[in-house]
Amino acid sequence: MGIEDWKSQIKRGTLEFCILLMIRRRPFYGYEIINALESYPILAAKENTIYPLLRRLQKEEYISSFWKDSAEGLPPRKYYSITDKGTEYLAAMSAEWENLLNAVNGMKGELHCGEELE
Amino acid sequence: MNEYLEKIEKSLKPLPASERVDIVQEIKSEMLELQAAGKSEAEILQRLGDPRALAKAYLGDLIVKEKPLSWTRVLALCAYYSLAGLSGLIVIPTLGICAPVFLLCAVICPVVGALKLLDSVLNLGLPWMQQVGVFVLEGVELAPGVEFIACVLAGVLLGLAGWGCWKLLVLYIRGVSKVGTSLSC
Repeated sequence: MGIEDWKSQIKRGTLEFCILLMIRRRPFYGYEIINALESYPILAAKENTIYPLLRRLQKEEYISSFWKDSAEGLPPRKYYSITDKGTEYLAAMSAEWENLLNAVNGMKGELHCGEELE
Repeated sequence: MNEYLEKIEKSLKPLPASERVDIVQEIKSEMLELQAAGKSEAEILQRLGDPRALAKAYLGDLIVKEKPLSWTRVLALCAYYSLAGLSGLIVIPTLGICAPVFLLCAVICPVVGALKLLDSVLNLGLPWMQQVGVFVLEGVELAPGVEFIACVLAGVLLGLAGWGCWKLLVLYIRGVSKVGTSLSC
């Protein structure tokens, strides 16, 4: 398994966490989300990943959506905002994320003590 | 660009019309957004990629959800429930009748044995006692004391049989429902 496979596996599990983090403050529309993710290469994902993911999150009632007219000359946009259930889900995810980081850091620490890390 | 959207719409056929329209609208919205940002049509289409692949990504969840109802699973479920139904038709009533009847006999047998012993010892002359007893041969009866012990022993054996039937019945029902739920999950 190459590094690209590994990265895509990490991305798969992390994207919905990042999307929920993003929209927790204010509603985002799909293209805006894709754009924002693009500024982080590890998170960059295409339309064919993000739109179906948003759909699934909505089906599971973690997010809700609404259409809103935008500035003149531009088409209406579909905005996504977090629901109460989504906020709860996000809190649980954040806690698990901390657990994961602590675990990884713990492992790194052990490695430092045992052998010299290049 | 419209051609692209039409292809998407066509590939989304398995979804309900309302969802299809919504998905196409959203993609169209992004296309127009990109266009307004100065992107050429070719750039936009390249960014979105193959329309069928994009549509397939939407259907991905649907396919996963339908997986549990594949042919082999349906067949396995049918075979399982036919078998369970057929065996249940015999096993459940048999055990269901045997268990209480055995248990009832287990109680009656020693009671009747005790009655007979009481009758013969105290000479009470209770009715039907000539008919009750352990007959080794035609007309040859054991002594009342031995009869009583035989009755108690028979009661214990019947009790064990009844209890065994009951356990088997519970085990059978539990087993059937466990396999059933694991198959349909």
